[in-house]
Amino acid sequence: MNTATTFLNPAALMRIKSLELRAKVVVEGLWKGMHRSPYHGFSVEFSEYRAYVQGDDPRYIDWKVLARSDRTFIKKFEDETNLRCQLVIDHSKSMGYGSQGFTKADYAATLAATLASFLMKQGDAAGLTTFAEGIEEHLPPRNRPGHLRRIITELERPAKATGTSLSVSISQLADLLRRRGMICLITDLLAPIEHLEKQLALLSAMGHDLVLFHVMDRAEIDFTFEKSAHFRDAESGKERFIDPQAARETYLKRLQTHRDHIQQSCDRHRVEYHWCPTDKPLEEVLFQFLSVRQHKKAAKSSARRAA
Amino acid sequence: MNWLFPLYLAGAAAILAPILLHLRRRPPQERVEFSSLLFLDAHTPVPVSKRRLENWLLLMLRCLALILLALMFARPFLRSESTTTASADRATLILIDRSASMRRDDLWKRAIAEAKRTAQSAKITDRVALAVFDQKLTPLWSFEQDRTAAPSRGAEISTRLAAETPSWSATLLDRALIDAIALFGSSTTSLQKHILLITDLQEGTHLDSLRSIAWPSDLRLQVLRLDPATADNFSLALAASEQDGSKEALIRLRLSNTRDSALRDFKIAWQNAPKADAIAAQIPPGASRIFTAPPNATQATTLVLSGDKNDFDNRVFIAPPQPRAVRIHFLGDDTTRQEAASPLYYLARALQPTATLAPELTASLSLPVQNPDILFISGRTPAVETHTRLSDFLQQGGFLIHVVTSPDDEVFLQTLTGNKDLTITEDRSDDYRMLAEVNTRHPLLKPFADPKLRDFTKIRFWKHRVIQGLKASSSLETLATFDNGHPAIISTRIGKGTLIVLASGWHPGDSQLALSTKFVPLLYGWLAAAGFSHDPAATLLVGDSLPLDAAQAHMVIDPEGKSHSLKAGESFITTQIGLHQVQTGARHQIIAVNLPPDEGRVLPLDPQKLADYGIKLASAAETASAPSAAEQQRLSAIETEQRQHAWWWILVILLAVLLLETALAGRSRHSAVAQSA
Repeated sequence: MNTATTFLNPAALMRIKSLELRAKVVVEGLWKGMHRSPYHGFSVEFSEYRAYVQGDDPRYIDWKVLARSDRTFIKKFEDETNLRCQLVIDHSKSMGYGSQGFTKADYAATLAATLASFLMKQGDAAGLTTFAEGIEEHLPPRNRPGHLRRIITELERPAKATGTSLSVSISQLADLLRRRGMICLITDLLAPIEHLEKQLALLSAMGHDLVLFHVMDRAEIDFTFEKSAHFRDAESGKERFIDPQAARETYLKRLQTHRDHIQQSCDRHRVEYHWCPTDKPLEEVLFQFLSVRQHKKAAKSSARRAA
Repeated sequence: MNWLFPLYLAGAAAILAPILLHLRRRPPQERVEFSSLLFLDAHTPVPVSKRRLENWLLLMLRCLALILLALMFARPFLRSESTTTASADRATLILIDRSASMRRDDLWKRAIAEAKRTAQSAKITDRVALAVFDQKLTPLWSFEQDRTAAPSRGAEISTRLAAETPSWSATLLDRALIDAIALFGSSTTSLQKHILLITDLQEGTHLDSLRSIAWPSDLRLQVLRLDPATADNFSLALAASEQDGSKEALIRLRLSNTRDSALRDFKIAWQNAPKADAIAAQIPPGASRIFTAPPNATQATTLVLSGDKNDFDNRVFIAPPQPRAVRIHFLGDDTTRQEAASPLYYLARALQPTATLAPELTASLSLPVQNPDILFISGRTPAVETHTRLSDFLQQGGFLIHVVTSPDDEVFLQTLTGNKDLTITEDRSDDYRMLAEVNTRHPLLKPFADPKLRDFTKIRFWKHRVIQGLKASSSLETLATFDNGHPAIISTRIGKGTLIVLASGWHPGDSQLALSTKFVPLLYGWLAAAGFSHDPAATLLVGDSLPLDAAQAHMVIDPEGKSHSLKAGESFITTQIGLHQVQTGARHQIIAVNLPPDEGRVLPLDPQKLADYGIKLASAAETASAPSAAEQQRLSAIETEQRQHAWWWILVILLAVLLLETALAGRSRHSAVAQSA
């Protein structure tokens, strides 16, 4: 599938000032696209087609199926109101880096707003937690009018903290989230991997459905710098003189190792991992997320049927 | 390659600065914000300077710019062959104005003194030539003569100058300078060419032709303007004279006063005329007025203006009226002169004396003893025995107008023209005839050349004779035909003379021709064709040639009383003002020649005006006498450099290099910024 042509370019999307509007653009686009696309049934809620019987609401008749097969079918939706999704956003200084006119934090906020908007639009509850050195803000998952607005206001607030302490934050989060639900962790994961695995294991063990969105800037992925300069760590403020041409190879190798480790940890703890370079269209990320959910659900229901 | 200021070349050493700057490498000052240094190791910063040159193209351009700047200030020039060999010796042409305006004050004496001084101060290795000019250039001492007789130069030039006096001509400085360029021959190629112009450079000097030439780059003109004590002057010139028909010609004069002149009062009078006849009036400075000449009671020929100091332009010569006698004979009865039906009646009234012509009309039945200038025959066929004499008359240049009145004229015309086919018959038709085709381009019908005068429709011919058999003789030309196609006027040249044959007479019995407005012009046209022009004499100025008949020999007596005999075809160019007497055979003519009016405009011009015509004037430094050899060389170097303008080209290249450098630097900076982003 050629996503580049069908989805909105993130750089163009980020030009929209209002985060709410941005989220709306992505969700609406996907929503409309889904109804027009051949992936019609891959919705979170779609359950099955059923033959129409008298007394059914004619609004749910699938007119296209009727047109194709001359049969009246009703589209059935699975009720998922019990889904509680906590969006956990990394608010550390490293997220403030961006080479394409917008930062990783912008991208993460838009992604979070999109997810929240999408989930709440289909009746799920969404909450928000921002963290840096520790938990900064926490909004428990709700599905009330105005809740989305609060989430978005929170997302628009700039990051204050400097460092990242994933371990501290996640242990605090584990205390806060007592009820099982889905946790969407949106972060750049620029921290030593050892701590991460422990925390993922903890959350997974608590029965949470974990989804990890790994946000990285293109400059971080490819390390496209040319000139030697003093590179300053955004979080610690430390400076190091670096000749990028000499350092690139090592950097790329280490980054790959880091990503491999994350991938392995995620696999190990059944964490859904999404690789999100900031130049990847948000619709695509959302679409992937939804399709993975659909597969999981299908797998679950077949397992259930087998049982 | 030579340098005007070689010291500036040291400035090229400044290229060291960009080289050093390029060698020096700043440690990277840039700070780059990055998300995390987790995967990065520190490197040691590079040393401050390194041996490798960066941006060598940019460096090269910068060095080039500095070198060009130094070169530009050093003012380079190429010493060409001629300038290298050019010595400090000069070739000076002393050009003295001898036009009429140099007659003022002691201008001529001063001019001669200046010329002598210059000739004497010249070194023996210098070349000096001398020429005077007014309307034309007259070389007196050439460079070639100077080369062979340099030691006796001073004496020779003095002798030649002593023989010269100011002329009466106009100042054609343009033509003189153009001719003077040619005087610098091969003997002066290696010398510094120089013209010393000694003139009063008055306003009336002609300069226009100078625009048509390119002044040689190696020739300098030094103007030595001689100013008289005062430039205030009245000048008098002939504006127009009307001599139509009357002996008392109306003469108009133009009187001018110079700008800022202190003069006001003037008096114009005929020479030796009584005081009462003079015009005494005032004219403001800078004004020009037209006056009618005072009455000429004494038949004087010179009008004299008085009131100013300068006498040279105060006289206007007017030739006395000299009507030319034309002997016209009518072959017929003189008693018919008063008969309105006879042709003679109309001829006698048409041929009235004018200011230029005095026709004497005689009439008799036989030819006069002395041949007349023009002979008319009408209403009578000449007897056969007179045919030979009439034929001789024509052969010798006579002018015969013959009106065919009867078929008996056939034999006469056959004898004259030698055309035996010629027949004459009486036209029998009842209807009148008009002129249909008139060859107005023919010299004999010259008065009708103007299309406004070509209307012949009011002339009716009651009777005419039919002349036939013309085609056989090609010499017979038909000047006009009737509307029935028969010839009306034919003519032919016989020997030196002219024969005109009319098919119908002018008297009322034949036609309305004599009563029409065309008759008198027609007669005077024939008079003019016979050599008796009615046109008034043109006003002549000094330098014009006298209007002489090229076919005849003349004797000219100039105003000074010197006589010049001229052969046929020779012309006489006037050099003096006054009355010239011309004797042509028996005819005596007086022609007035006046001063060119431009000579009267005596206000001095600024010598810088000559520079406007592209002439290279000598600078003050060059006019300074005898500069030292080193100074000479320096001056010549400056001159060569100024001519070549090499620094200008260097400046253009420098600007191009700087532009390129800017573009290149901008581009590299742009790419650097893009990279760091």
